[in-house]
Amino acid sequence: MTLLYTGLAVFLLLNLLVGLMRVYFGPTAADRMLAALLFGTTTVAVLLLLAEAMALSALRDVALLFTLLAAVVALAFTRLPRRFKGR
Amino acid sequence: MIRALADDAVSGAATGAATGAATDLEIAALLWWAFDGLLALGLLGLAYQVVAGRQLFRSVVLFIIYGLLMAVAWARLAAPDLALAEAAIGAGLTGALLLSAYRNLIGTDGEEGPHAPITPPAGAPPMTVPRWAALFAAALAGLLVAGIGWVAVGLQPPEQTAGRLALEQLAESGVENPVTAVLLNFRSIDTIGEVVVLFVAFLAARVVAQELDHAGPGDWLRASQREPLLVGPLIAFIAPMAVLVTGYLLWAGGHQPGGAFQAGAVLAALAVLLRLTGRLRPRLEPTLLERSVLVGGVVLFSAIGLAGAGLAGAVLEYPPGWDYRLILLIETVLTLSIALPLALLFSGSGGLRQEVR
Repeated sequence: MTLLYTGLAVFLLLNLLVGLMRVYFGPTAADRMLAALLFGTTTVAVLLLLAEAMALSALRDVALLFTLLAAVVALAFTRLPRRFKGR
Repeated sequence: MIRALADDAVSGAATGAATGAATDLEIAALLWWAFDGLLALGLLGLAYQVVAGRQLFRSVVLFIIYGLLMAVAWARLAAPDLALAEAAIGAGLTGALLLSAYRNLIGTDGEEGPHAPITPPAGAPPMTVPRWAALFAAALAGLLVAGIGWVAVGLQPPEQTAGRLALEQLAESGVENPVTAVLLNFRSIDTIGEVVVLFVAFLAARVVAQELDHAGPGDWLRASQREPLLVGPLIAFIAPMAVLVTGYLLWAGGHQPGGAFQAGAVLAALAVLLRLTGRLRPRLEPTLLERSVLVGGVVLFSAIGLAGAGLAGAVLEYPPGWDYRLILLIETVLTLSIALPLALLFSGSGGLRQEVR
């Protein structure tokens, strides 16, 4: 079972790194920000898998914090003016 | 003859099972190598792009993602206390701080705002360093790092490390989490120093603060802008949860990863959320209550530490039997004394007031 968790964690991390292309190329600011928010969810999943695979239950609390605080960055992003170049 | 064959078969099966287990272990080790390698490469690549990237907004987003991966790295190093701190600071404070700073840089119309970086006048010499000088500096720095690494790798590991000593004495500290034991008992003088640093940072920020109109993220509502519909319900859901998680982390610090710093950062993140959405507004000067919270942690910690000189025989020593209660009391006050300066640093103001609607 641990093997499965580890394998899934590697797969998710690989997903995240490939997804960085969207952040890099954009083109709009919203593309970049949405990708970053999605990576937040991916990180929560990776941390939950690691908590099982490494038998370190405190990592669930880390995942909890990321879930709780994901909205802060999203709200800060909506405060940016509507028409900006996203550079 | 038959018995010999059966024996062979049994031992063969046993060997087969043993090889199967070994392969499983090998696959697991390989997967962990892949995970750690990808993580390290991702962190290095992200760090390079954050610093060297030409587009400011992209660098901000990449830095937010860097914080995510950094928390996973701390998790892989089996340091959940640091992963918690990284999560609370990275997701709750740094991202919002950078985006607000970016907002001030570009101004409200999407063009360069009043706080845009100053561009040098046309005739001025370029502010870049020649390539050979940069390469020379990079080579020197690389040599230095390689030299330090070479010396560090060659060192004999010490027989008795401070960490092992702390683990041996854990039973006497009054708490079960070794990190809390070190922070609040064995090395509490360092923790007092860190809280003082946070307070001094707040004072320094007050010295260079701008007028209140430009402080921090500014107000949410302008005459032409209405608040998005979902903000109210979102805050109504998150605010109580954040208070709950603050209390949980504070309580958890005694026996598992957590503690005053992580709890304070979550509380500060809640203040950031309220400040971003205009539910908290900046105020020029802190009230008496805010002033007492700002210095409360240092004052209480120092007072208990000094009282230890009379009651327990040494400064910063807790009276026997009182360790856990005093540590919990100090951590509770520290949580507030850490959260408030963080929130005020984000707000860029001396105090906060509730918005009357």
